[in-house]
Amino acid sequence: MRDYRCEPGTPISDLDTPCLIVEMDALENNYRVAAEAYRDTVCKIRQHTKNVKSPLLAKMQMEFGGSNGGVCTAKVAEAEVMIEGGITDVLIPNQIVTRDKLARLCALAVRGDVKICADSVENVRAVSEAASRSGVEIGILIEVDTSMGRAGVRGQRGAVEIARAARDLPGVAFRGVMSHQNVGDSFRKEERHARGRETIQICLDAKNAVEAAGIPVEIVSSGETFSYDVAAQIDGVTEVEGGTYALMSTGYAYMTEFQIAGKVLGTVVSAPRPGIVIGDVGTRAMAGPSGVIPSVDGLTGVEVESIHDEHIVLSVDGDAELSVGDKFKLLPAHQDMLVNRWDEYTAVRNGVVEEVWEIPGRGCYH
Amino acid sequence: MERPIFKPIGTNTEELDTPSLIVDVESLDHNIAAMASFFADRPAKLRPHVEAHRTPAIAHKQMTAGGHAGGIAVSTVGQAEVFAQNGFHDLFVANLIVTPQKITRLCALARQVKIGVAVDSLANAADLSAAASAGGARLDVAVYVNTRLNLYGVEPGGPAVELAKAVVDSPGLDFAGLMTHEGRILCEDSEDAAKETRAAVQPVLDTREDIEQAGIETPAVRAGGTSNYEVVGGLDGIGEVLAGSYALLDARHAPHKPQFKVAGRVMATVTSRPERGYMITDGGQKAIGADTGFPTIDNLQNPRVKGLSAEHGSIYFDEANGGSPKLGDKIWCTPWDAATCANLHDYMFAVRHGKLESVWHISARGRYQ
Repeated sequence: MRDYRCEPGTPISDLDTPCLIVEMDALENNYRVAAEAYRDTVCKIRQHTKNVKSPLLAKMQMEFGGSNGGVCTAKVAEAEVMIEGGITDVLIPNQIVTRDKLARLCALAVRGDVKICADSVENVRAVSEAASRSGVEIGILIEVDTSMGRAGVRGQRGAVEIARAARDLPGVAFRGVMSHQNVGDSFRKEERHARGRETIQICLDAKNAVEAAGIPVEIVSSGETFSYDVAAQIDGVTEVEGGTYALMSTGYAYMTEFQIAGKVLGTVVSAPRPGIVIGDVGTRAMAGPSGVIPSVDGLTGVEVESIHDEHIVLSVDGDAELSVGDKFKLLPAHQDMLVNRWDEYTAVRNGVVEEVWEIPGRGCYH
Repeated sequence: MERPIFKPIGTNTEELDTPSLIVDVESLDHNIAAMASFFADRPAKLRPHVEAHRTPAIAHKQMTAGGHAGGIAVSTVGQAEVFAQNGFHDLFVANLIVTPQKITRLCALARQVKIGVAVDSLANAADLSAAASAGGARLDVAVYVNTRLNLYGVEPGGPAVELAKAVVDSPGLDFAGLMTHEGRILCEDSEDAAKETRAAVQPVLDTREDIEQAGIETPAVRAGGTSNYEVVGGLDGIGEVLAGSYALLDARHAPHKPQFKVAGRVMATVTSRPERGYMITDGGQKAIGADTGFPTIDNLQNPRVKGLSAEHGSIYFDEANGGSPKLGDKIWCTPWDAATCANLHDYMFAVRHGKLESVWHISARGRYQ
C-alpha cells in the first residue's frame, strides 16, 4: 500500500481501490460531539485508541476538547506508539502478564504516566516485581466485570484485596477502578442510559468497597461510546473510555449523533449477471466476525448480498446503475478490526484527498 | 506494524511474546513435500497460491520442492509486485484487474517478469490489450469461467469461447487458456467431494474442447485448490492446480486432509482466570482472525471458544485434575483460515523442535490493491 500514496488534492474518483478513507467532516463532527458532551463536566473523555491506532487522531480529540489529555491502549506496543507520538498519560485497560511486556511497560514508565488494569493479586505481584527491578512506578487500576463476562473481578472482596496489594507492594501505586460495559439489547436512549447506569454502578460498588477499606480511589475509568453521555453524568466516574465514536460503524447506528467516518472505497470489477455486480473488497480488507456484513453507503437500490475473501457481491435493483469501473463506498459493521487491516488512512473532504496518515498502531498485538 | 521483541535464534518457543504466529518448520516442509510429490509425475502441475501465506520464504520452499508449473499464483497486483521483487519470475494474478492504475502496474511488471491475469469480459480484455500494446508488454490472459461459486466469470460454452477468441485476436495478449475457482469443496464423504468437484470443473474442460475445435490452441485448464487437488489434479485437460492452504493448513482444512499437518498456529497467553473452567487469553480477532470461523484450541481439555473479542479469547475448558492453567501459560490456537491470520501479522516465527529457527517477513500482508 505504501508504495502508492496519493497526493493531496486527488479526487476520490482517481483513487485506486480498495482504499480505507476517513471522511473529515464526519470525523470532526464526532470529535465535536464528544467535546460538547464533556465541555462542562468534571468527568472527561480518555480516548481509547485501539480503534484509531494513531496518536495524530488522538491528539485531534484533545484539540477539539473534552479530553483529559490521556489515552487508553489495549496493548503495551500500542502504548509505545502513543508515547512515541508525544502522549504521555496512558491507561492500558488490560492485563499485562508476559515477561517481555512487563519489561516494555517498565521502560515506558520512564517516559510516561503508565497505568494497567489487574484482576488478580498474582498479576499485581508480577507487575510490582518487574517495576521494582526497573526502579519505576506503574499505576494499578482494578478491572471490574460488570456485563462482559470477560476479564475482571467478580464481586467486591476481590477488588479490595487487589487494592491492598497495589497499595502495599513496591513499584506499583493503586490508582482506581475500571470497567467495560456492553450495550446488550438496550439501543433506545433511555434504555441505553439505564443500562449504562446499572452496569457502571457495579464498578462504583467496587470503588466504594475499596474506599470503605480505607484506600482512596483516584480514578474511575468507565463508560464507552454507547454510554458516553450517561457516564459523564454519574457521580464518581472520573473518565470515559470512548473509542468507536471517532470513526463509527453500522453496529452503532443507534447513536445518531455520530456519523460514520471510516469507510472502504471499492471498484466494481465484474457485472456477470443482470442485477449483480462484483466489487474488489472482501473480508481480507474489510474484516469483521463471521456472518457480519458491511453495508453500501448512499446508493439507493444497491445492497450487499455476500462477502468473500477478496470480493463482495452487490445486488442492484432495476433503477440503480453500477457498471464495471464504478466506485462504491462500504460502511463497516465493525471499526477497530477494520482499521487493523490497513497501514494508512486516506483523509478526504468533499470528495478530495486532504492528507494521508500512517496507522502506526496497526498490528501492535504485544 | 507488529512490534515484537526479536529474540536470538535458538530461543525456546514459549519464551517468544504473544500473540504471535508460529510456524513449525518440520510440519511446513512435510506439507510442501507431500504436495510436490503428488504432482511430480502428473501432467497437471501445482501453481502454489501464495495469497494463503503472503511470505516469500515459504514460496521459495514451494518452488524448491518441485511438482509445479514454474510459477506462483497471487490475488492482487500488489502481491505480484512483492513476489517479483523477491525473485519470482512467473506470476499469475488469479483475479480480475480492472482499474487503470492497476493495469498500468501490471504492464510495468510484465516488462520484467512473466505475468498472467484472468478476464471475464470483452471490455476488460480490450483495456488490458490497449495498455499492454501501449506499454510494450505482453500479458498471459486466461478466460475466467463461472462455475460452482457463481461469483464472477463468463458462462461455460459459447460465451467463454467468444471471449477466448477475442483474447486470441487482441494485440499484446497471449491466450493462456481457461481458469475457474470452484471454491473449497470439503465434505464428510470424500466421494461426495470428488463428485462435486468433477461436476464443477467438467463444463470448463468441455469448453476447452469447444475452443480447440474452433481451431484455437488452448493451454490446459487452471482450477482446484487444497480441498480438491487430488481430484482436479487427476483430470484430463487440467494444466495447473492453484493450491495454497496446504502449506500452513488451518482448522477448516485439517479434519479433511490428514495427509497434511497444521504448521501455522497462534501462540497466546492466559491473561486472566476469572472463573473455574474459564480463561481469558491475549489472542483475539485482531491477531487470529474470525472472519469465517473461530480457531480451534489445541492444548486444553475439551475447549469451547465462548467468543473472540478484538483483543481477547474467552475459552471454557474442563479443569484437569491437579494442574490447572495459570496466568502466563501458553495456549495454542489453530486459525480457522490461515490466510486471514497471515494477513494480520508482519512476521512469522519459524520454529523447529520448540526452538526459534528464523523470522520470516510476511511481505505481502495488506497488499489489497
